[in-house]
Amino acid sequence: MVRFENVGMRYDAGPEVLRDVTFVLEAGSFTFLTGLSGAGKTTLLKLIYLAEPPSRGLITLFGRDLATAKRTALPALRRRIGVVFQDFRLLDHLSAFDNVALPLRLAGKRVSDYARDVEELLSWVGLGDRMNSAPPTLSGGEQQRVAIARAVVARPDLLIADEPTGNVDPEMGARLIRLFSELNRLGTTVLIATHDRTLIETARAREMRLVDGRLVELRASAA
Amino acid sequence: MMNNSAHVLPRDKGAAPLDFVIAVMAFLAALALGASLIADRAAAGWQSGLAAKLTVQVLPPETGDANAGLQAQIQAALDVLNATPGIAHAELISDTDTQALVEPWIGKNNLVSEIPLPRLIDATIVPGEEVDVAALTQKLKQAAPSALVDDHSRWIGRLGALAGAVRYSAYAILLLIAGATAAAVSFATRAGLSAHHEMVELLHQMGALPSFIARTVEWHYFISALMAALAGTLVAAVLFLGASGLESFGVEAVPFLPPLSLKWTEIPWLLAVPAATAAIAWATARISVLSVVKAIY
Ligand SMILES: Nc1ncnc2c1ncn2[C@@H]1O[C@H](COP(=O)(O)OP(=O)(O)OP(=O)(O)O)[C@@H](O)[C@H]1O
Ligand SMILES: [Mg+2]
Repeated sequence: MVRFENVGMRYDAGPEVLRDVTFVLEAGSFTFLTGLSGAGKTTLLKLIYLAEPPSRGLITLFGRDLATAKRTALPALRRRIGVVFQDFRLLDHLSAFDNVALPLRLAGKRVSDYARDVEELLSWVGLGDRMNSAPPTLSGGEQQRVAIARAVVARPDLLIADEPTGNVDPEMGARLIRLFSELNRLGTTVLIATHDRTLIETARAREMRLVDGRLVELRASAA
Repeated sequence: MMNNSAHVLPRDKGAAPLDFVIAVMAFLAALALGASLIADRAAAGWQSGLAAKLTVQVLPPETGDANAGLQAQIQAALDVLNATPGIAHAELISDTDTQALVEPWIGKNNLVSEIPLPRLIDATIVPGEEVDVAALTQKLKQAAPSALVDDHSRWIGRLGALAGAVRYSAYAILLLIAGATAAAVSFATRAGLSAHHEMVELLHQMGALPSFIARTVEWHYFISALMAALAGTLVAAVLFLGASGLESFGVEAVPFLPPLSLKWTEIPWLLAVPAATAAIAWATARISVLSVVKAIY
């Protein structure tokens, strides 16, 4: 599903943030990415969700070599990826409902077809009564849950979540992890960057750790 | 798909200044366009009015019985004119009318009737036909030696030059305003787009095609520019129609100056202004969005 070979990354003329990163995410796998703040977790995720091209190295996504893929082929790849951004990136002028519905709308679906799914999902993350609220009127944790609902609503082939439980209490954190596990059980490959040790312990999944820009394999998949 | 995209964009906040600028520019552009229409019409009117007439001046003979000689020459000239192909009819301007014409220069007193004034013959040309002025002059020279033909070509030439100057000035102003409008609209559209930058980036990240992203934005700018430009044009149209109201109130324009109003049938031309404005906003928005998207990976 995702393959990195000797990938290096630097922003402009800055220092190298990632060095010789090599790993494989098998289809249907569930993986945690850890590392100190500033270690380069978000940077690594950006390379996967096609927000930045790598400075060097080889990335293969959904079996396609990105170095040779045409630009026009990238949007179709992006549509197969659900992303929970560390800073949420919700659209302030849309309601929680419309934010979550955005990927479905981009896929050309009609409101009548997806309205129930969106409402159900929002209820599941505890926002059943905040569906028509605009993001600026929601708490940080509520915004985070809208961002998560948006990332999973279209059942992407690959789910990338950057600190998805940073702003919620432990119970809600456990609930969200159940959501990711459920999605994973249905076939989505999941990669979650987190500092949350309890989250990692409960899920007992593979953990990759970034140290000094290099990737260290800490634990192979427990399953 | 269009329906889908239309709802993604924020409802306008802070776009009022942009709409105002577009409305004002459209108003000015409509004024310039209207002025060029009026100049066009006036130029055509002046020229056809003068070209449809010929004037023959018959001077009193210097020898013999002035009055009898004059009458004979007038009759001869009228005969020649009426026999000339292309002339509908020729008519002697009456004594009183002639005196009225010279009155501003000579004054109104009995003296006038005693001065041997040249008499004027007013010949109307059949619309669309031309008169061979050289041949006519030849014939008149034989029949009435003291008759002079004036085909107004000097006046037509001068008025034509004046009308041309007015017309091309109007075109130049129109062009300048169109350029300024285009610049203002595209500048404002770009400024507005920077507010939508976040949304454009997000849609791109979610895998929306550049054309889809452009569509979400471009129609928004098309519609709001169209509305603002329509408002500005409407004000200009009301002014142009109102100007005809002034004339009917007796505020006569200086004679010779064209009426400063547009006819109802000319008003639709002004719609070119909002159409062009909306097209400029649409194209700018589209080009800007596509270039923003292209700059992202
Ligand atoms: N757009 C950017 N331009 C320049 N440098 C950047 C950019 N984004 C990140 N960096 C730098 O790259 C390094 C890694 O940043 P990154 O955001 O990947 O860390 P992280 O592991 O996600 O940290 P955190 O846990 O705090 O989210 C940092 O030193 C950061 O300053
Ligand atoms: Mg980060």
